[in-house]
Amino acid sequence: MDRRFFLGSALASAVGATLSACGGGESDPVLDLASSDRRTTTTTTTTTTTAASAAVKSRVIVIGGGMGGATVAKYLRLWGDAISVTLVERMPTYTSNIMSSLVLSGQRSLSSLSYNYDTLRSKYGITTVFGEVVAIDPVAGKVTLANKTVLTADRIVMAPGISFDTVPGLGSSDKMPHAWQAGPQTTLLANQLKALPSKGVVVLTIPKTPYRCPPGPYERACLIADWLKAKKPGSKLIVLDANPGIVTEADNFTNAFMGLHGNVIEYHANAEVTSVDPASMSLFTTAGTIRGDVINMIPRQRAGSLVATAGLNNATEGRFAGVNVLSYASTVSGASKVHIIGDSSATTQPKAGHIANQEAKVCADAISRILSGGSPDPAPVTNSACFSTITMTQASWLTAVFQYNPATLAMAPVAASSGASTGWNSENFKDMGKWFSTLMGDSFA
Amino acid sequence: MKKRFHVLVPFAMAAIAASASVHAQVGQAGRLLASNCFQCHGTNGKGGFDAINGKSVGEIYKKLKEFQAGKEGDGLMTKHALGYTDAQMVALDKWLSTQR
Repeated sequence: MDRRFFLGSALASAVGATLSACGGGESDPVLDLASSDRRTTTTTTTTTTTAASAAVKSRVIVIGGGMGGATVAKYLRLWGDAISVTLVERMPTYTSNIMSSLVLSGQRSLSSLSYNYDTLRSKYGITTVFGEVVAIDPVAGKVTLANKTVLTADRIVMAPGISFDTVPGLGSSDKMPHAWQAGPQTTLLANQLKALPSKGVVVLTIPKTPYRCPPGPYERACLIADWLKAKKPGSKLIVLDANPGIVTEADNFTNAFMGLHGNVIEYHANAEVTSVDPASMSLFTTAGTIRGDVINMIPRQRAGSLVATAGLNNATEGRFAGVNVLSYASTVSGASKVHIIGDSSATTQPKAGHIANQEAKVCADAISRILSGGSPDPAPVTNSACFSTITMTQASWLTAVFQYNPATLAMAPVAASSGASTGWNSENFKDMGKWFSTLMGDSFA
Repeated sequence: MKKRFHVLVPFAMAAIAASASVHAQVGQAGRLLASNCFQCHGTNGKGGFDAINGKSVGEIYKKLKEFQAGKEGDGLMTKHALGYTDAQMVALDKWLSTQR
Protein backbone atom coordinates (compact mmCIF):
# COMPACT_ATOMS: atom_id res chain seq x y z
CA MET A 1 0.00 0.00 0.00
CA ASP A 2 2.79 2.38 0.84
CA ARG A 3 3.80 3.01 -2.73
CA ARG A 4 0.38 4.49 -3.37
CA PHE A 5 0.80 7.01 -0.57
CA PHE A 6 2.95 9.05 -2.86
CA LEU A 7 0.20 9.66 -5.31
CA GLY A 8 -0.52 13.31 -4.57
CA SER A 9 -4.19 13.94 -4.04
CA ALA A 10 -4.29 16.60 -6.75
CA LEU A 11 -3.15 14.04 -9.27
CA ALA A 12 -5.25 11.20 -7.94
CA SER A 13 -8.23 12.01 -10.09
CA ALA A 14 -6.14 12.34 -13.23
CA VAL A 15 -3.98 9.26 -12.95
CA GLY A 16 -5.68 7.26 -10.22
CA ALA A 17 -7.17 4.71 -12.57
CA THR A 18 -3.77 4.02 -14.04
CA LEU A 19 -1.80 3.78 -10.87
CA SER A 20 -4.27 2.05 -8.64
CA ALA A 21 -3.81 -1.17 -10.54
CA CYS A 22 -0.36 -1.55 -9.09
CA GLY A 23 0.00 -4.48 -6.78
CA GLY A 24 2.81 -3.30 -4.54
CA GLY A 25 3.12 -4.00 -0.87
CA GLU A 26 6.56 -2.87 0.20
CA SER A 27 7.33 0.52 1.64
CA ASP A 28 8.81 3.19 -0.55
CA PRO A 29 12.38 4.19 0.15
CA VAL A 30 12.40 7.12 -2.24
CA LEU A 31 10.38 9.70 -0.41
CA ASP A 32 9.31 10.24 3.13
CA LEU A 33 6.23 12.38 3.43
CA ALA A 34 4.87 13.62 6.73
CA SER A 35 2.67 10.99 8.35
CA SER A 36 -0.38 13.25 8.32
CA ASP A 37 -0.11 13.45 4.52
CA ARG A 38 0.06 9.68 4.38
CA ARG A 39 -3.19 9.31 6.29
CA THR A 40 -5.02 11.77 4.08
CA THR A 41 -3.87 10.17 0.88
CA THR A 42 -4.49 6.62 2.04
CA THR A 43 -8.23 7.18 2.19
CA THR A 44 -8.38 8.49 -1.37
CA THR A 45 -6.28 5.82 -2.97
CA THR A 46 -7.82 2.88 -1.14
CA THR A 47 -11.18 3.81 -2.63
CA THR A 48 -9.72 4.13 -6.11
CA THR A 49 -7.96 0.79 -5.81
CA THR A 50 -11.18 -1.05 -5.11
CA ALA A 51 -12.93 0.64 -8.01
CA ALA A 52 -10.27 -0.21 -10.53
CA SER A 53 -9.32 -3.69 -9.41
CA ALA A 54 -11.94 -5.23 -11.70
CA ALA A 55 -9.82 -4.61 -14.79
CA VAL A 56 -6.16 -4.88 -13.90
CA LYS A 57 -3.95 -3.65 -16.69
CA SER A 58 -0.23 -3.57 -16.96
CA ARG A 59 1.11 -0.06 -16.55
CA VAL A 60 3.66 1.73 -18.65
CA ILE A 61 5.02 5.20 -17.97
CA VAL A 62 6.46 7.06 -20.94
CA ILE A 63 8.80 9.94 -20.11
CA GLY A 64 9.09 12.56 -22.82
CA GLY A 65 6.49 13.47 -25.43
CA GLY A 66 8.60 14.03 -28.53
CA MET A 67 8.68 11.88 -31.65
CA GLY A 68 9.68 8.69 -29.82
CA GLY A 69 7.62 9.20 -26.67
CA ALA A 70 4.38 10.20 -28.42
CA THR A 71 4.66 7.29 -30.85
CA VAL A 72 5.39 4.64 -28.22
CA ALA A 73 2.47 5.86 -26.08
CA LYS A 74 0.14 5.75 -29.09
CA TYR A 75 1.18 2.31 -30.33
CA LEU A 76 1.11 0.70 -26.87
CA ARG A 77 -2.58 1.59 -26.82
CA LEU A 78 -3.29 1.04 -30.54
CA TRP A 79 -1.89 -2.47 -30.38
CA GLY A 80 -3.91 -3.74 -27.42
CA ASP A 81 -6.04 -2.78 -24.46
CA ALA A 82 -4.10 -4.72 -21.84
CA ILE A 83 -1.80 -1.81 -21.00
CA SER A 84 -2.56 1.58 -19.50
CA VAL A 85 -0.19 4.34 -20.50
CA THR A 86 0.79 7.49 -18.64
CA LEU A 87 2.81 10.01 -20.64
CA VAL A 88 4.87 12.41 -18.53
CA GLU A 89 6.04 15.52 -20.35
CA ARG A 90 7.25 18.96 -19.27
CA MET A 91 5.29 20.99 -21.78
CA PRO A 92 1.65 20.80 -22.90
CA THR A 93 2.75 21.32 -26.51
CA TYR A 94 5.58 19.88 -28.58
CA THR A 95 7.44 21.98 -31.13
CA SER A 96 8.86 19.94 -33.99
CA ASN A 97 12.58 20.15 -34.62
CA ILE A 98 11.96 18.73 -38.07
CA MET A 99 11.31 21.64 -40.47
CA SER A 100 12.39 24.19 -37.84
CA SER A 101 15.29 25.48 -39.96
CA LEU A 102 12.58 26.85 -42.26
CA VAL A 103 11.66 29.23 -39.42
CA LEU A 104 15.14 30.75 -39.85
CA SER A 105 14.46 31.43 -43.52
CA GLY A 106 11.03 32.86 -42.68
CA GLN A 107 9.18 30.08 -44.52
CA ARG A 108 7.57 28.49 -41.48
CA SER A 109 6.24 29.78 -38.18
CA LEU A 110 7.00 28.01 -34.92
CA SER A 111 3.25 27.73 -34.30
CA SER A 112 2.91 25.73 -37.53
CA LEU A 113 5.27 23.20 -35.93
CA SER A 114 3.29 22.90 -32.70
CA TYR A 115 1.58 19.65 -31.67
CA ASN A 116 -0.45 18.79 -28.57
CA TYR A 117 -1.49 15.60 -26.82
CA ASP A 118 -5.28 15.94 -27.17
CA THR A 119 -5.66 13.11 -29.70
CA LEU A 120 -3.39 10.79 -27.74
CA ARG A 121 -5.73 11.35 -24.78
CA SER A 122 -9.10 11.28 -26.54
CA LYS A 123 -8.52 8.62 -29.20
CA TYR A 124 -6.11 6.28 -27.44
CA GLY A 125 -6.97 6.77 -23.76
CA ILE A 126 -3.49 7.88 -22.77
CA THR A 127 -3.17 9.72 -19.46
CA THR A 128 -0.95 12.78 -19.65
CA VAL A 129 0.88 14.29 -16.71
CA PHE A 130 2.63 17.59 -17.34
CA GLY A 131 5.51 17.87 -14.94
CA GLU A 132 9.21 17.53 -14.43
CA VAL A 133 10.68 14.10 -13.66
CA VAL A 134 13.44 14.43 -11.06
CA ALA A 135 14.29 10.80 -10.32
CA ILE A 136 13.84 7.34 -11.74
CA ASP A 137 14.29 4.08 -9.86
CA PRO A 138 14.96 1.65 -12.71
CA VAL A 139 14.84 -1.44 -10.50
CA ALA A 140 11.56 -0.70 -8.71
CA GLY A 141 9.97 0.99 -11.73
CA LYS A 142 9.35 4.29 -9.97
CA VAL A 143 9.30 7.79 -11.36
CA THR A 144 9.43 10.82 -9.05
CA LEU A 145 8.16 14.19 -10.20
CA ALA A 146 9.28 17.61 -8.99
CA ASN A 147 6.03 17.96 -7.02
CA LYS A 148 7.03 14.80 -5.12
CA THR A 149 4.43 12.60 -6.81
CA VAL A 150 5.75 9.07 -7.32
CA LEU A 151 4.37 7.04 -10.20
CA THR A 152 4.98 3.31 -10.42
CA ALA A 153 4.75 1.02 -13.41
CA ASP A 154 5.60 -2.38 -14.79
CA ARG A 155 7.72 -0.75 -17.47
CA ILE A 156 9.17 2.71 -18.05
CA VAL A 157 9.97 4.05 -21.49
CA MET A 158 12.35 6.99 -21.58
CA ALA A 159 12.42 9.27 -24.60
CA PRO A 160 14.08 12.42 -23.22
CA GLY A 161 15.88 13.45 -26.41
CA ILE A 162 19.21 15.21 -26.19
CA SER A 163 21.08 17.58 -23.92
CA PHE A 164 24.11 19.71 -24.74
CA ASP A 165 27.68 19.84 -23.51
CA THR A 166 28.59 23.07 -21.74
CA VAL A 167 30.48 25.37 -24.09
CA PRO A 168 33.46 26.91 -22.24
CA GLY A 169 33.09 30.69 -22.17
CA LEU A 170 29.47 30.80 -23.31
CA GLY A 171 27.90 31.06 -19.86
CA SER A 172 24.28 32.14 -20.06
CA SER A 173 24.83 34.35 -23.10
CA ASP A 174 22.13 34.23 -25.76
CA LYS A 175 24.51 35.51 -28.43
CA MET A 176 25.34 32.08 -29.87
CA PRO A 177 22.08 30.08 -29.98
CA HIS A 178 22.08 26.42 -31.01
CA ALA A 179 18.48 26.41 -32.23
CA TRP A 180 18.81 22.62 -32.16
CA GLN A 181 15.75 22.24 -29.95
CA ALA A 182 12.98 24.15 -31.66
CA GLY A 183 11.50 26.95 -29.58
CA PRO A 184 12.85 30.22 -28.14
CA GLN A 185 16.33 29.42 -29.45
CA THR A 186 14.92 29.21 -32.98
CA THR A 187 13.25 32.61 -32.65
CA LEU A 188 16.46 34.07 -31.23
CA LEU A 189 18.58 32.86 -34.16
CA ALA A 190 15.93 33.92 -36.71
CA ASN A 191 15.96 37.46 -35.25
CA GLN A 192 19.75 37.60 -35.19
CA LEU A 193 19.85 36.56 -38.86
CA LYS A 194 17.29 39.23 -39.73
CA ALA A 195 19.50 41.83 -38.03
CA LEU A 196 22.68 40.68 -39.81
CA PRO A 197 24.59 43.72 -41.10
CA SER A 198 25.13 43.95 -44.84
CA LYS A 199 28.03 41.83 -46.06
CA GLY A 200 28.03 40.16 -42.67
CA VAL A 201 29.52 36.87 -41.56
CA VAL A 202 27.39 33.99 -40.26
CA VAL A 203 29.07 31.02 -38.60
CA LEU A 204 27.46 27.58 -38.13
CA THR A 205 29.23 24.93 -36.10
CA ILE A 206 28.72 21.18 -36.45
CA PRO A 207 29.54 19.01 -33.42
CA LYS A 208 31.28 15.67 -33.39
CA THR A 209 29.05 12.68 -34.09
CA PRO A 210 26.80 11.27 -32.80
CA TYR A 211 24.42 14.22 -32.76
CA ARG A 212 20.71 14.71 -33.50
CA CYS A 213 19.79 14.62 -37.21
CA PRO A 214 23.02 13.91 -39.15
CA PRO A 215 22.06 15.86 -42.32
CA GLY A 216 20.44 18.64 -40.27
CA PRO A 217 23.35 21.09 -39.91
CA TYR A 218 24.30 20.72 -43.59
CA GLU A 219 20.75 21.32 -44.81
CA ARG A 220 20.52 24.32 -42.49
CA ALA A 221 23.78 25.65 -43.95
CA CYS A 222 22.37 25.29 -47.48
CA LEU A 223 19.13 26.97 -46.50
CA ILE A 224 20.87 29.90 -44.77
CA ALA A 225 23.23 30.30 -47.75
CA ASP A 226 20.29 30.49 -50.14
CA TRP A 227 18.52 32.95 -47.85
CA LEU A 228 21.65 35.11 -47.57
CA LYS A 229 21.87 35.32 -51.36
CA ALA A 230 18.31 36.63 -51.53
CA LYS A 231 18.15 38.82 -48.41
CA LYS A 232 21.72 39.71 -47.47
CA PRO A 233 23.76 39.78 -50.67
CA GLY A 234 27.51 39.81 -50.20
CA SER A 235 27.33 37.95 -46.89
CA LYS A 236 29.31 34.85 -46.07
CA LEU A 237 28.54 31.62 -44.19
CA ILE A 238 31.43 29.85 -42.49
CA VAL A 239 30.70 26.20 -41.63
CA LEU A 240 32.97 24.76 -38.94
CA ASP A 241 32.70 20.97 -38.88
CA ALA A 242 34.25 19.14 -35.90
CA ASN A 243 34.19 15.98 -38.01
CA PRO A 244 36.82 15.02 -40.59
CA GLY A 245 34.32 15.59 -43.39
CA ILE A 246 30.63 15.85 -44.28
CA VAL A 247 29.09 13.04 -42.23
CA THR A 248 26.17 12.07 -44.45
CA GLU A 249 24.76 12.61 -47.95
CA ALA A 250 28.26 13.72 -48.87
CA ASP A 251 27.67 13.90 -52.66
CA ASN A 252 24.74 16.30 -52.47
CA PHE A 253 26.15 18.49 -49.71
CA THR A 254 29.60 18.64 -51.30
CA ASN A 255 28.06 19.69 -54.62
CA ALA A 256 25.88 22.25 -52.87
CA PHE A 257 28.68 23.68 -50.70
CA MET A 258 31.30 23.80 -53.48
CA GLY A 259 29.04 24.47 -56.46
CA LEU A 260 25.61 25.99 -55.92
CA HIS A 261 26.53 27.88 -52.73
CA GLY A 262 30.27 28.06 -53.39
CA ASN A 263 30.28 31.86 -53.41
CA VAL A 264 28.63 32.01 -49.97
CA ILE A 265 29.76 28.95 -47.99
CA GLU A 266 33.27 28.51 -46.66
CA TYR A 267 33.59 24.96 -45.26
CA HIS A 268 36.24 23.85 -42.75
CA ALA A 269 36.55 20.18 -41.75
CA ASN A 270 38.25 19.17 -38.48
CA ALA A 271 37.36 22.53 -36.94
CA GLU A 272 36.17 21.84 -33.41
CA VAL A 273 35.14 24.65 -31.08
CA THR A 274 37.11 24.51 -27.84
CA SER A 275 35.83 27.73 -26.22
CA VAL A 276 33.99 30.90 -27.14
CA ASP A 277 33.88 34.60 -26.29
CA PRO A 278 30.41 36.04 -26.80
CA ALA A 279 31.59 39.63 -26.09
CA SER A 280 33.84 39.64 -29.17
CA MET A 281 31.69 37.07 -31.03
CA SER A 282 34.71 34.81 -31.36
CA LEU A 283 35.05 31.05 -31.56
CA PHE A 284 38.35 29.47 -30.56
CA THR A 285 38.69 26.29 -32.60
CA THR A 286 41.17 23.58 -33.49
CA ALA A 287 41.48 25.41 -36.83
CA GLY A 288 42.11 28.87 -35.33
CA THR A 289 40.00 31.78 -34.12
CA ILE A 290 36.89 32.61 -36.12
CA ARG A 291 34.71 35.70 -35.69
CA GLY A 292 31.12 36.08 -36.80
CA ASP A 293 28.27 38.60 -36.72
CA VAL A 294 25.77 35.79 -36.17
CA ILE A 295 26.90 32.50 -34.67
CA ASN A 296 24.80 29.33 -34.70
CA MET A 297 26.77 27.31 -32.17
CA ILE A 298 25.54 23.70 -32.09
CA PRO A 299 27.31 22.04 -29.13
CA ARG A 300 28.27 18.41 -28.75
CA GLN A 301 25.40 16.27 -27.51
CA ARG A 302 24.49 13.56 -25.04
CA ALA A 303 21.29 11.87 -23.92
CA GLY A 304 18.61 13.89 -22.18
CA SER A 305 19.91 14.51 -18.64
CA LEU A 306 17.45 12.06 -17.04
CA VAL A 307 19.36 9.18 -18.60
CA ALA A 308 22.46 10.04 -16.57
CA THR A 309 20.35 10.84 -13.50
CA ALA A 310 18.99 7.29 -13.67
CA GLY A 311 22.49 5.86 -14.21
CA LEU A 312 21.64 4.46 -17.63
CA ASN A 313 24.29 6.33 -19.68
CA ASN A 314 26.50 3.29 -20.14
CA ALA A 315 27.42 3.72 -23.82
CA THR A 316 29.30 6.12 -26.12
CA GLU A 317 31.72 7.14 -23.35
CA GLY A 318 28.84 7.81 -20.99
CA ARG A 319 26.98 10.06 -23.40
CA PHE A 320 24.09 7.78 -24.38
CA ALA A 321 22.12 4.76 -23.13
CA GLY A 322 23.07 1.26 -24.19
CA VAL A 323 19.99 -0.71 -25.24
CA ASN A 324 18.98 -4.13 -26.52
CA VAL A 325 17.52 -3.21 -29.91
CA LEU A 326 14.99 -6.07 -29.81
CA SER A 327 13.09 -4.19 -27.10
CA TYR A 328 15.15 -1.04 -26.37
CA ALA A 329 15.52 -2.26 -22.77
CA SER A 330 18.51 -0.78 -20.95
CA THR A 331 21.64 -2.91 -20.91
CA VAL A 332 22.48 -1.69 -17.39
CA SER A 333 22.33 -4.63 -15.02
CA GLY A 334 19.01 -4.75 -13.16
CA ALA A 335 17.46 -1.96 -15.25
CA SER A 336 15.76 -4.06 -17.92
CA LYS A 337 12.34 -2.66 -16.93
CA VAL A 338 13.44 0.63 -18.42
CA HIS A 339 13.45 1.10 -22.18
CA ILE A 340 15.20 4.00 -23.89
CA ILE A 341 14.23 5.05 -27.40
CA GLY A 342 15.07 7.84 -29.82
CA ASP A 343 18.01 10.21 -29.63
CA SER A 344 18.95 9.19 -26.07
CA SER A 345 19.81 5.62 -26.98
CA ALA A 346 23.10 4.42 -28.41
CA THR A 347 22.41 2.34 -31.51
CA THR A 348 23.77 2.05 -35.05
CA GLN A 349 20.75 4.00 -36.27
CA PRO A 350 20.76 7.77 -36.85
CA LYS A 351 19.34 10.06 -34.19
CA ALA A 352 16.30 11.48 -35.97
CA GLY A 353 12.53 11.79 -35.66
CA HIS A 354 11.54 9.32 -38.38
CA ILE A 355 13.63 6.52 -36.94
CA ALA A 356 12.66 7.39 -33.35
CA ASN A 357 9.08 6.78 -34.50
CA GLN A 358 10.04 3.30 -35.77
CA GLU A 359 12.13 2.47 -32.69
CA ALA A 360 9.03 3.39 -30.67
CA LYS A 361 6.93 0.86 -32.59
CA VAL A 362 9.53 -1.89 -32.07
CA CYS A 363 9.58 -0.99 -28.37
CA ALA A 364 5.77 -0.91 -28.07
CA ASP A 365 5.46 -4.28 -29.80
CA ALA A 366 8.17 -5.78 -27.56
CA ILE A 367 6.59 -4.43 -24.35
CA SER A 368 3.15 -5.72 -25.39
CA ARG A 369 4.63 -9.16 -26.00
CA ILE A 370 6.69 -9.20 -22.80
CA LEU A 371 3.82 -8.07 -20.58
CA SER A 372 1.58 -10.80 -22.03
CA GLY A 373 4.18 -13.46 -21.28
CA GLY A 374 5.90 -13.58 -24.67
CA SER A 375 9.21 -12.36 -25.98
CA PRO A 376 10.14 -9.60 -28.45
CA ASP A 377 10.10 -10.11 -32.21
CA PRO A 378 13.50 -11.69 -32.91
CA ALA A 379 13.99 -9.94 -36.26
CA PRO A 380 12.86 -6.30 -36.15
CA VAL A 381 13.30 -3.95 -39.10
CA THR A 382 13.52 -0.17 -38.85
CA ASN A 383 13.74 2.51 -41.47
CA SER A 384 14.76 6.09 -41.94
CA ALA A 385 13.70 8.55 -44.59
CA CYS A 386 14.08 12.27 -44.71
CA PHE A 387 14.40 15.28 -46.95
CA SER A 388 17.07 17.99 -46.84
CA THR A 389 16.60 21.56 -47.99
CA ILE A 390 19.32 22.42 -50.50
CA THR A 391 17.68 25.73 -51.37
CA MET A 392 14.57 27.55 -50.15
CA THR A 393 12.51 25.68 -52.77
CA GLN A 394 14.43 22.50 -53.57
CA ALA A 395 15.28 19.42 -51.54
CA SER A 396 17.12 16.09 -51.67
CA TRP A 397 16.19 12.85 -49.92
CA LEU A 398 18.03 10.26 -47.88
CA THR A 399 16.87 6.80 -46.82
CA ALA A 400 18.03 3.59 -45.13
CA VAL A 401 16.53 0.32 -43.88
CA PHE A 402 18.02 -1.50 -40.88
CA GLN A 403 17.74 -5.25 -40.23
CA TYR A 404 18.56 -6.90 -36.91
CA ASN A 405 21.84 -8.80 -37.04
CA PRO A 406 21.82 -11.60 -34.44
CA ALA A 407 25.61 -11.98 -34.66
CA THR A 408 26.37 -8.37 -33.72
CA LEU A 409 23.12 -7.82 -31.77
CA ALA A 410 22.82 -4.54 -33.69
CA MET A 411 20.58 -3.00 -36.35
CA ALA A 412 22.59 -3.27 -39.57
CA PRO A 413 21.93 -0.91 -42.48
CA VAL A 414 21.04 -2.77 -45.67
CA ALA A 415 23.62 -1.43 -48.14
CA ALA A 416 21.34 -1.53 -51.19
CA SER A 417 18.67 0.47 -49.36
CA SER A 418 20.97 3.16 -48.00
CA GLY A 419 21.44 6.23 -50.09
CA ALA A 420 20.37 9.64 -51.24
CA SER A 421 18.75 11.23 -54.27
CA THR A 422 20.99 12.17 -57.16
CA GLY A 423 20.79 15.92 -56.76
CA TRP A 424 17.79 17.94 -55.63
CA ASN A 425 14.60 19.40 -57.05
CA SER A 426 11.34 21.18 -56.23
CA GLU A 427 9.33 17.95 -56.39
CA ASN A 428 11.29 16.65 -53.39
CA PHE A 429 10.60 19.91 -51.58
CA LYS A 430 6.85 19.32 -52.04
CA ASP A 431 7.25 15.68 -50.93
CA MET A 432 9.05 16.92 -47.83
CA GLY A 433 5.87 18.71 -46.72
CA LYS A 434 3.76 15.58 -47.20
CA TRP A 435 6.36 13.38 -45.47
CA PHE A 436 6.44 15.76 -42.51
CA SER A 437 2.68 16.00 -42.03
CA THR A 438 2.21 12.23 -42.38
CA LEU A 439 5.04 11.47 -39.96
CA MET A 440 3.64 13.89 -37.40
CA GLY A 441 0.17 12.36 -37.84
CA ASP A 442 1.57 8.87 -37.27
CA SER A 443 3.26 10.08 -34.08
CA PHE A 444 0.71 12.45 -32.53
CA ALA A 445 -2.73 11.56 -33.95
CA MET B 1 -7.36 -38.52 -8.54
CA LYS B 2 -7.16 -35.53 -6.36
CA LYS B 3 -3.42 -35.36 -6.69
CA ARG B 4 -3.51 -35.51 -10.46
CA PHE B 5 -6.14 -32.83 -10.57
CA HIS B 6 -3.85 -30.45 -8.76
CA VAL B 7 -1.07 -31.13 -11.20
CA LEU B 8 -3.19 -30.92 -14.31
CA VAL B 9 -5.10 -27.76 -13.70
CA PRO B 10 -2.18 -25.37 -13.56
CA PHE B 11 -0.65 -27.19 -16.49
CA ALA B 12 -3.81 -26.92 -18.55
CA MET B 13 -4.17 -23.25 -17.70
CA ALA B 14 -0.64 -22.58 -18.75
CA ALA B 15 -1.28 -24.40 -22.03
CA ILE B 16 -4.39 -22.33 -22.68
CA ALA B 17 -2.52 -19.13 -21.91
CA ALA B 18 0.33 -20.12 -24.20
CA SER B 19 -2.07 -21.00 -26.99
CA ALA B 20 -3.90 -17.66 -26.63
CA SER B 21 -0.60 -15.86 -26.81
CA VAL B 22 0.42 -17.78 -29.93
CA HIS B 23 -2.90 -16.91 -31.58
CA ALA B 24 -2.43 -13.27 -30.73
CA GLN B 25 1.00 -13.29 -32.28
CA VAL B 26 -0.17 -15.06 -35.45
CA GLY B 27 -2.77 -12.32 -35.87
CA GLN B 28 0.00 -9.77 -35.51
CA ALA B 29 2.32 -11.32 -38.10
CA GLY B 30 3.50 -8.61 -40.43
CA ARG B 31 2.11 -5.80 -38.28
CA LEU B 32 5.41 -4.55 -36.91
CA LEU B 33 6.98 -4.87 -40.36
CA ALA B 34 4.09 -3.00 -41.96
CA SER B 35 4.45 -0.24 -39.37
CA ASN B 36 7.64 0.77 -41.23
CA CYS B 37 5.29 2.11 -43.91
CA PHE B 38 3.16 4.23 -41.59
CA GLN B 39 5.47 7.25 -41.29
CA CYS B 40 4.80 8.06 -44.96
CA HIS B 41 1.57 6.14 -45.67
CA GLY B 42 -0.30 6.93 -42.47
CA THR B 43 -1.14 4.81 -39.45
CA ASN B 44 -2.25 1.37 -40.70
CA GLY B 45 -1.37 2.48 -44.21
CA LYS B 46 -4.46 4.63 -44.60
CA GLY B 47 -3.11 7.80 -46.18
CA GLY B 48 -0.03 9.92 -46.66
CA PHE B 49 1.64 9.54 -50.05
CA ASP B 50 -0.66 6.69 -51.12
CA ALA B 51 -3.08 4.58 -49.15
CA ILE B 52 -1.69 1.04 -49.07
CA ASN B 53 -4.30 -0.62 -46.85
CA GLY B 54 -7.06 -3.03 -47.85
CA LYS B 55 -5.64 -4.06 -51.23
CA SER B 56 -6.01 -7.63 -52.45
CA VAL B 57 -3.31 -9.95 -51.17
CA GLY B 58 -0.19 -9.72 -53.31
CA GLU B 59 -0.78 -6.22 -54.68
CA ILE B 60 1.61 -4.35 -52.38
CA TYR B 61 4.13 -7.18 -52.69
CA LYS B 62 4.03 -6.88 -56.48
CA LYS B 63 4.47 -3.13 -56.26
CA LEU B 64 7.48 -3.51 -53.97
CA LYS B 65 9.03 -6.02 -56.39
CA GLU B 66 8.57 -3.49 -59.19
CA PHE B 67 10.34 -0.87 -57.10
CA GLN B 68 13.16 -3.31 -56.38
CA ALA B 69 13.52 -4.07 -60.10
CA GLY B 70 13.86 -0.35 -60.88
CA LYS B 71 10.61 -0.27 -62.89
CA GLU B 72 9.46 2.83 -61.00
CA GLY B 73 12.41 5.13 -61.64
CA ASP B 74 15.11 6.01 -59.13
CA GLY B 75 13.01 7.59 -56.40
CA LEU B 76 13.11 7.07 -52.67
CA MET B 77 10.87 3.97 -52.73
CA THR B 78 13.13 2.22 -55.23
CA LYS B 79 15.99 2.46 -52.76
CA HIS B 80 13.77 1.80 -49.78
CA ALA B 81 12.18 -1.40 -51.15
CA LEU B 82 15.63 -2.96 -51.44
CA GLY B 83 15.83 -3.03 -47.64
CA TYR B 84 13.27 -5.82 -47.21
CA THR B 85 13.49 -9.57 -47.82
CA ASP B 86 10.91 -11.39 -49.90
CA ALA B 87 9.44 -13.06 -46.81
CA GLN B 88 9.15 -9.69 -45.09
CA MET B 89 7.36 -8.16 -48.06
CA VAL B 90 4.93 -11.10 -48.18
CA ALA B 91 4.20 -10.70 -44.47
CA LEU B 92 3.62 -6.94 -44.55
CA ASP B 93 1.55 -7.23 -47.74
CA LYS B 94 -0.70 -9.80 -46.07
CA TRP B 95 -1.18 -7.71 -42.94
CA LEU B 96 -1.88 -4.50 -44.88
CA SER B 97 -4.51 -6.33 -46.96
CA THR B 98 -6.49 -6.95 -43.76
CA GLN B 99 -6.66 -3.25 -42.89
CA ARG B 100 -9.93 -1.82 -44.16
